[in-house]
Amino acid sequence: MSEMPAPTMTEPTVDPSVLAATPVDAQGTPRPVDAVFTVEQLAFFYGANQALRDVSLSIGRHEITALIGPSGCGKTTFIRCLNRLNDLIPGTRVEGRIDFNGSSLYAPGVRAIDIRRRIGMVFQKPNPFPKSIYDNVAIAPKVNGIRANMDELVEECLTRAALWDEVKGKLRDSAFSLSGGQQQRLCIARAIAIRPEVILMDEPCSALDPVATIRIEELMVELKSDYTIVVVTHNMQQAARVSDRTAFFTVDVSEGGRTGMMVEVGSTEQMFTAPSDQRTDDYITGRFG
Amino acid sequence: MSVAVDRRPDPASAPRLPGRARRLVRAHRARRRARLSELTRPDRVVRGVLLVAAIIPTFALAFLAYQMLKYAYPAIVFNGWHVFTTKFSLGNQYSTAVQVRHGYKAPKGAVYGILPLLFGTLISSLIALFFAVPISVAGAILLVERLPVRVQGFLGIFLELLAGIPSVIFGLWGIYTFGPFLSRTVYRWIADLHIPWLRGPTGAGEGLLTASLVLAVMIIPIIASITRELVRSVPPLAKEGAVALGLTPSETVRFVVIPYIKTGVIAASILGWARALGETIAVLIISGDLLGAYPHSIFDPFSTIATTIASELDSALTDSTGMAVHALAEFGLVLLVVTLLTNLGGRLLTRRFSAAGLPVGRGV
Amino acid sequence: MLIAAPAIAVIVGVFHQALPALGWQLFTKRTNSTGIQNAILGSLLFLLGVLIVAGTIGVGAGIYLAEFASGRTERALRFFSEVLAGMPSIVIGYIGYVTLVVEFHWSYSLLAAVMALSVLVLPYIVKTTEVALRNVPSALGEAAAGLGLPRSATVRQVLLPPALPGIVSGLVVALAISTGELAPLLFTAGFSDNDPTLHLFHHQVPYLTNVVFTDISIPGARAHATAAAAGVVTLGILLVLIAIGRILASRARRNTARMSL
Repeated sequence: MSEMPAPTMTEPTVDPSVLAATPVDAQGTPRPVDAVFTVEQLAFFYGANQALRDVSLSIGRHEITALIGPSGCGKTTFIRCLNRLNDLIPGTRVEGRIDFNGSSLYAPGVRAIDIRRRIGMVFQKPNPFPKSIYDNVAIAPKVNGIRANMDELVEECLTRAALWDEVKGKLRDSAFSLSGGQQQRLCIARAIAIRPEVILMDEPCSALDPVATIRIEELMVELKSDYTIVVVTHNMQQAARVSDRTAFFTVDVSEGGRTGMMVEVGSTEQMFTAPSDQRTDDYITGRFG
Repeated sequence: MSVAVDRRPDPASAPRLPGRARRLVRAHRARRRARLSELTRPDRVVRGVLLVAAIIPTFALAFLAYQMLKYAYPAIVFNGWHVFTTKFSLGNQYSTAVQVRHGYKAPKGAVYGILPLLFGTLISSLIALFFAVPISVAGAILLVERLPVRVQGFLGIFLELLAGIPSVIFGLWGIYTFGPFLSRTVYRWIADLHIPWLRGPTGAGEGLLTASLVLAVMIIPIIASITRELVRSVPPLAKEGAVALGLTPSETVRFVVIPYIKTGVIAASILGWARALGETIAVLIISGDLLGAYPHSIFDPFSTIATTIASELDSALTDSTGMAVHALAEFGLVLLVVTLLTNLGGRLLTRRFSAAGLPVGRGV
Repeated sequence: MLIAAPAIAVIVGVFHQALPALGWQLFTKRTNSTGIQNAILGSLLFLLGVLIVAGTIGVGAGIYLAEFASGRTERALRFFSEVLAGMPSIVIGYIGYVTLVVEFHWSYSLLAAVMALSVLVLPYIVKTTEVALRNVPSALGEAAAGLGLPRSATVRQVLLPPALPGIVSGLVVALAISTGELAPLLFTAGFSDNDPTLHLFHHQVPYLTNVVFTDISIPGARAHATAAAAGVVTLGILLVLIAIGRILASRARRNTARMSL
């Protein structure tokens, strides 16, 4: 668990007896005290193909949760369920349950758009809009009706994304004039401009060089105090370096198709030193994947 | 525990069908809900407005088809199978004498036979294809296989330009420049050979062959640009394999490129053909427009369905029985069905090959 | 070479034929004298009309098909739009005459002509708009959705700007097509030796392709030269439009390449 004090939220004082009463995951690992997401028996279908099954985990507030596993194991599909981005793909279907702050994410009457305003996302490849650096950050607040103090907001978000010093002189330049790593930090600034509670990151460093990757990782740790972060990564060192909890996914080919599934979840330290499942151990020690 | 058990239809599991049906209904509702939850109220307003715009092409098509049928109906009843007679004449529209058939009146002597026009339409477009297909295919293959990319792009501009030239300009060029030139040179030489169909007075260069050649020039860009895309899409590996086998470039084209693009070329030709079938103005100017006449040689004047509608609508209006206008609608309906079917056929075939390869211009 | 030759031959041939009639009087005198000023104005007026009618409807329909439609409706609407694209232009002209001019009592008029032209180019605009939007990388749409932007805001602020060169290029080419059309206008626009007016109904409109067509059949070298001169002016407008279309299209391609990194 993080020991970082949260400046904006009042952290509930952790009483050991409460901790003992906290429900545990299937593997017996204690669940986070304060869960932002609680996922139960999630399954996901593209048409008739099942892409994901048996995902049950909790994601703790102001923690970094890393999702690791071989390619095709459904990590990305899963993270896109958390902000209902998969709704955009026709013919997809979710079964099971995801609670966000205690209420069902997929309940009738819950609008995906409202959800996404509270859950920001950063994608695999930097995808800034073909607009100026300023407009990239300002667009979402503007559309949502926030007009006052836009300059301050843009500066604050860019500062938070550790990009301000590099771009403050050229806010009107096209976002494409930035390097890949800068573009990805711009995307993070864009995501935090709507003041989300959660930031989902889908392999945010896969298109970046090692130096840019380190910058993003440092940034993630900094942002943890204000945001809950879920990061998909195929880089196990990255998961080990930044995350508090790690979930391991794998591909199940036993039923003919290729279905992703979650194997286990636990604190990062435990997952990397003493995983309870053989498949996790194989993957982490490099015997598979 | 697996959530989705019964996804595939299994005849043996008939008793579980209700469960499956329920699941399908549930899935359908979920999808619908998800789709709608994506849209905010202003979104739905925007979507509604755009939907109106999106329906208009379909509406226009329905309107055109309905009006065409409505106007053609009296002629269809009046003509019956006589529409396939071999003569076309609007009859004596200045006399009050009328003939009555199936309750509809027409001027005495009027015969609305479509065959001469259909013949003119088919023969001119087929001659055009006869010239355009080999030129387009050979040109496209040479362009892609032999020339550097820079030159390809430069020549591509001319292809696009040719596609953009309007038919009235082609008519102008055909009647003043191309036709007289051919008449003075090639036609005289051909006519001197005294081959049936290919002899007779060559005139000033009007007539079937000139019109067909101009049609050929008009459809070359359609066929050539699609073929060009097709040749470009031949996998390099296949070509390299042929070269590795020791095939010469011309053998590579013959045994690798042509088989690969064959169906696509047929589709492109059908699209070009559709364009030639419906072409009006250029043919009207160059054909010599001898109404309802069968050409006796390739230098004779002729008329097509489209040119007849364009040139006779004026005179048809003077028909007090109104039947002439209806007869033109019936012809238009035949033309419409023929071109829409060819166009659609070509399109369905090309869709398999390329979406981007369709050329600029009409008939696209 | 065989491919480049016809285009050059046509342009040079028409230009050569037009030589005696070329001069500034084309733009200053009317068709009852030695010029074609009224016809040029009429043709430009048609372009404006087509831009307003077919432009708005076509771009709207293209946006709907690319960004708002789903499943069966989308397929049906797109299919029928493609069918409409294969409609012979003389059939459009005929229906324009019997319905708009006669049945609706619009007479030969600006609106009847613009309607006929619009039906002709509409499918083309729908298609190019849809393709331009589909060429925008899907990552941008996802990024906007991930920010919780409503669909309409996503389209307007994120997807349309990069698609704009492609859309405008399609519009411009559609205008080029309608500049050269005659068959749909023959029985809807009429003709007049006066300058066109902005009256939508009952007022005949002169236009370039009509001058070409009618002057060909008037005997005499003078009329033939005027026909070719009108042809040259038509080609001139057309070439400018095609050039603009090409420049915009290559900009659109560069845009796409840049965005897909």
